[in-house]
Amino acid sequence: MSTEIIKNELLGESYYSIDHPSGLKIFVYPKENYESSYAVFGTRYGSIDVCFRADGQQDFITVPEGIAHFLEHKLFESEELDAFARYAKTGASANAYTSFDRTCYLFTCTGNFKDSFEILLDFVQSPYFTEETVAKEQGIIGQELTMYKDIPEMEVFYNMLRAMYSVHPVRIDIGGTVESISEITAQRLYDCYNTFYNPSNMALAVAGNVTPEAVLEVADRLLKSKEPVTIERRFFPEPPQVCTDYTQQTFNIATPLFSLGYKETYSEPERSLKEIMVTSMLLEIIAGNTSVLYERLLKDELINTEFSAEYFTGYGYAACIFSGESSDPKRVRECINEEIARLRREGITDEQFEVARRKYYGRVITCFNEVDDIANSLIVSHFQKIPLFEEFDLLPGITKSDIEARLEATLREEYSSLSVVI
Amino acid sequence: MNYSFSVSEPAAGVRMCKIKASQFKTACISVNLALPLGEDASANALLPYLLHRCTGKYPDMRAMNMRLGSLYGADISASVGKIGEAQVLQMYASFIDDRFALDSESVAKSCADMLADMLFEPKLDENGRFFPEDIEREKRMLSELYQSELNDKKVYALRRCTEIMFASEVYSVGKYGTLADIQALTPEKVYSAWRRVLETARVQIDVIGNVDFDSVEKLFSQRFSCINRAPVEIKTQFIKTAGEPKRVREPMDIKQGKLVIGMRAGTASAQESYPALRVMCDLYGGSPHSKLFSVVREKMSLCYYCSARLTRQKGIIMIQSGVECENEEKAEKAILEQLELVRRGEFSDDDLKASVDALSDAFRGASDSPDAIDAWFSTQILDSQLRSGDDFADEMESVTREQVVEAANGVTLDTVYMLYSGEGEAEK
Repeated sequence: MSTEIIKNELLGESYYSIDHPSGLKIFVYPKENYESSYAVFGTRYGSIDVCFRADGQQDFITVPEGIAHFLEHKLFESEELDAFARYAKTGASANAYTSFDRTCYLFTCTGNFKDSFEILLDFVQSPYFTEETVAKEQGIIGQELTMYKDIPEMEVFYNMLRAMYSVHPVRIDIGGTVESISEITAQRLYDCYNTFYNPSNMALAVAGNVTPEAVLEVADRLLKSKEPVTIERRFFPEPPQVCTDYTQQTFNIATPLFSLGYKETYSEPERSLKEIMVTSMLLEIIAGNTSVLYERLLKDELINTEFSAEYFTGYGYAACIFSGESSDPKRVRECINEEIARLRREGITDEQFEVARRKYYGRVITCFNEVDDIANSLIVSHFQKIPLFEEFDLLPGITKSDIEARLEATLREEYSSLSVVI
Repeated sequence: MNYSFSVSEPAAGVRMCKIKASQFKTACISVNLALPLGEDASANALLPYLLHRCTGKYPDMRAMNMRLGSLYGADISASVGKIGEAQVLQMYASFIDDRFALDSESVAKSCADMLADMLFEPKLDENGRFFPEDIEREKRMLSELYQSELNDKKVYALRRCTEIMFASEVYSVGKYGTLADIQALTPEKVYSAWRRVLETARVQIDVIGNVDFDSVEKLFSQRFSCINRAPVEIKTQFIKTAGEPKRVREPMDIKQGKLVIGMRAGTASAQESYPALRVMCDLYGGSPHSKLFSVVREKMSLCYYCSARLTRQKGIIMIQSGVECENEEKAEKAILEQLELVRRGEFSDDDLKASVDALSDAFRGASDSPDAIDAWFSTQILDSQLRSGDDFADEMESVTREQVVEAANGVTLDTVYMLYSGEGEAEK
């Protein structure tokens, strides 16, 4: 077992990075004077992983949409007590989530850390699926998916992804559909579990009121070794074109919602940290609350303070997304395009760049405030193969010309889709 | 406990809560203004949004945001809440700790000054009035906020149940008032609301982090000394026992029904029986091991979400659930049956212990960020004595089975509201 202490003097932060003999990467991030600890056990397996093959398999296998999320639900069950019932004995607050590219199991507690930690490691490593329990879950998740259909904020976002992407599975709702989950069987769940819930594809992070000794004492006892697995995800080559540049759904809401995405296509599936940072700063300059655009759209009564922009990227997909509420989303789209053109013509001012840089600096520092943010960031950065403090270290090196160059390369009107819910 | 706190009164009816904690990367200051909930709700609600957008010193919104941006993205936000029959206006500043500032300027001092300017030195014209265009902008945005919250059908159904259940009580007034009242606001009405708030609101200012507390206290004590303070008394009506249950069903074009059940908790004050009720509510419908979650949702698959929430400041319990419309009756029956079981003491000692442990664990952990500490203290604005999470946790740990059963037996069914999938729109 090798343990490395990773430090950042300027931030005043440090943590332990441990290569456990089981093949699992473990991070322990003690925070002095914190009452609670937060543990998260994650696998690099999300809703987009619907077509893959593991070592030696000849063919790619295709599994039903929504299966990662379904598996997350099912893992809480066992032959005896389900995980929630077990956590009830320790007082911890437990949960789990599935995103496009990962599934994470977590708990937070102030006391009885080791007892709760044992439960986490045990249930995530103990799958128990039968046809009966799968059938029952299909009912529960069916209800959950139906509930999402009543939430316009979710529909407007997924509709935009479907408008932009024609083949990449990011176009699928994370939970799948009532139809797709009806194809899930116990055997399929085991296939996915055995592929993705392998220590070499997972990571464990604990932050807060905790020591590496406490973590390792439990981990050494409970972690099961498995032969490392190499997973090949099918790379879905997307055309640069969007499927449709406009999509609309009726919900009868007072102020329409919109999501405007500018699709990017690359031959490499993943973006570098620097690209992500530069793009985020660019979006702040274009559309943040210090931008000319933001001020103008507010004044013209075209947006309210819900307006925001983000860089949305993962394995095989990347897009700049503007979203908000507007009485006239098409007009907002025109204004955004005009502003992008103006900035390309006139360039970015030093003042705008400096404010964007300072805001980013403040945001990075704030990321080290809360134990849940820290533990989840450790997992995400590990899956992205980016050291945790790299963002902080890269920031001073980013220049205005980096951002201007990015502006030339992205945000192409012809590759954009506007989704509206009215 | 990982912080120390002290309380002072820099002006009449102004409580300052100074919470010293050095472990965080950020600090925060919140200004909370409590007023009786009533006919001025819309004018009051507009204020924090209007005031935090610009000041006399930074009359231009973009200049203000640039200034905050240069303070490493210091965030000053506004919100409105309802605590019992009080409307609480909040302006909240969150910023990085001064040890991370890249130059010698104190971020904390700048943010405190900015907050004080927002409250006392707003942007006014040469005749000392708010600008009509600023008022119109905020009216539009508050109207949109009001409506967008109701886009979430869960929120909409809870709101409708609240209107029906408290039809003859002040509590039926929404935190933003009504859409018509928002739209009828004028610069004059908002101006008089601003003066009234400065003079009469019960104020609590929370300062959390590694901050020069004395200078913040001095700042606010100086600013308030220019105001003729007459802090108002805020009272909430408690109805201990419900009458004949009210039942209302309304149709809407939705995929999944929303069932909301309102109950009276059997109390006459925010403090009465609180620990027992809180544990009872957790056992009944708070946590994943609760009866509503483990039986009604998991075992019977009757709904996707189903939970009970106690509002101690009004003495009520609201149960929210998402159900398929054909399961409406079954779900209601199951929800009420589970309460019956708690009343009869049909729960295990393990379940009781699980609720006590979960609550006490959560209360003890509510101190690991400035935001969480502020949320903890600011919601106690109406309580005469501020108490820490540890104090609450200790109380939870002393609750007995008999107290839980007694608390459950004091609960009465008041209103059953169902938003079902069907033709015809309920009132928007």
